[in-house]
Amino acid sequence: MDELIIAGKKFNSRLLIGTGKFSSSSVMAQAIEAAKAEIVTVALRRVDITNKDDDMLSAIDREKYLLLPNTSGARNADEAIRLSRLARAATGINWVKLEVTPDPYYLLPDPIETLKAAEILVKEGFIVLPYINADPILSKKLQDAGTATVMPLASPIGSNQGLKTRAAIEIIIEQANVPVVVDAGLGLPSHAAEAMEIGADAVLVNTAIATAAEPTKMAEAFKMAVIAGRTAYLSGAAAESKKASASSPLTGFLRND
Amino acid sequence: MSILKINGLVSSFPEDKMPATIADLLLNLGIDSAAVVAELDGQIIERVKFSTTSLHHGQSIELIRFVPGG
Repeated sequence: MDELIIAGKKFNSRLLIGTGKFSSSSVMAQAIEAAKAEIVTVALRRVDITNKDDDMLSAIDREKYLLLPNTSGARNADEAIRLSRLARAATGINWVKLEVTPDPYYLLPDPIETLKAAEILVKEGFIVLPYINADPILSKKLQDAGTATVMPLASPIGSNQGLKTRAAIEIIIEQANVPVVVDAGLGLPSHAAEAMEIGADAVLVNTAIATAAEPTKMAEAFKMAVIAGRTAYLSGAAAESKKASASSPLTGFLRND
Repeated sequence: MSILKINGLVSSFPEDKMPATIADLLLNLGIDSAAVVAELDGQIIERVKFSTTSLHHGQSIELIRFVPGG
C-alpha cells in the first residue's frame, strides 16, 4: 500500500481538507467524507460570548480524522507559538499547521518568522507542518530544524490560480526528505493532479471544495484527481519531445518512395 | 463590584455573583467547556483545571475555541 507517512503516522489519503468557508457544518462533514480525507485543518478564535453558535468540532468525528489546528491570524512567531500552545491545550494534539501571514492582501507567509517559530515549536515537542512560500532553501532549513513536512503554496490562499510555483516546488520535492504537501491556491482537481504528478506527497485543499456549487461532488473530484496524479507519478511519466513519434507502425506498402 | 475582562470586554459582577472558578464562569455564560481553552492573565489553563482555577477581581481571561479554517 502506498501510504503517506507524516511524523511516523500512516495515512491512506493524500488529500488534506481545510474546513473554512463551508455553508454549514453538515456540508463540511459530507465533503470531508466524500474526499476520504484523514487530516482536516481547523483554526482558533475567541469565543463570541454574545452569540454562541454551534461547536463545529462536534460535526467532525475525531476517531476518524486527525484535527490539524492552524495558526492562522498569527502575524509573527510569538503569536504563532501562543496559538500552537492554545491548540495543544484544547485538543491534546501536538500537531500544528504553522502559518505566519503578516500581509493581509496576499496572505503570503513570512519566512523568517515561520522558521523562528518552527525551531521553538519543534523543541517544545510539536509536530510542525509549516505553510511556506515555494522556497527550496527555506524548505531545507525547516526540515533541518525538524519540521514534519513542508507545505509550499501553489498560489495565494483562496485564489484558485493553480500551480503557479511549479518550478520551485519541483526543486523542493527533489531535495526534501520530509513529505511535501502542496497547500493553497489549488482551484481545480487538475491542479491537484498536476502537483501529485510532479511528486508532491499530498495536497491541502479548502476553498475550491468549500465554495463549489456542490462541495461534496467537488470533494470527490479532488479525491480522484489526487489518486490519478499519485498513480501517474508512481508510473514514471513518458518523455516529452518536440517532434512527433508515431504511435502506429508506418508500414511502407502504400507508397514505394 | 468585581471586574473581569472576558475576551477583551469588561464585565462587572456584584460581589456575590462573581464566578468563583473558570468552570463557574463558563456555566454562567452558557458555554460548553468541552470545546474551550482558556488563558488567564496570559497563562494557558487546561480544561481539567477549569473547576479548580479561581477567578479574582481585575483578571483578564481569554476563552478560545476551534472554528472552521484552512
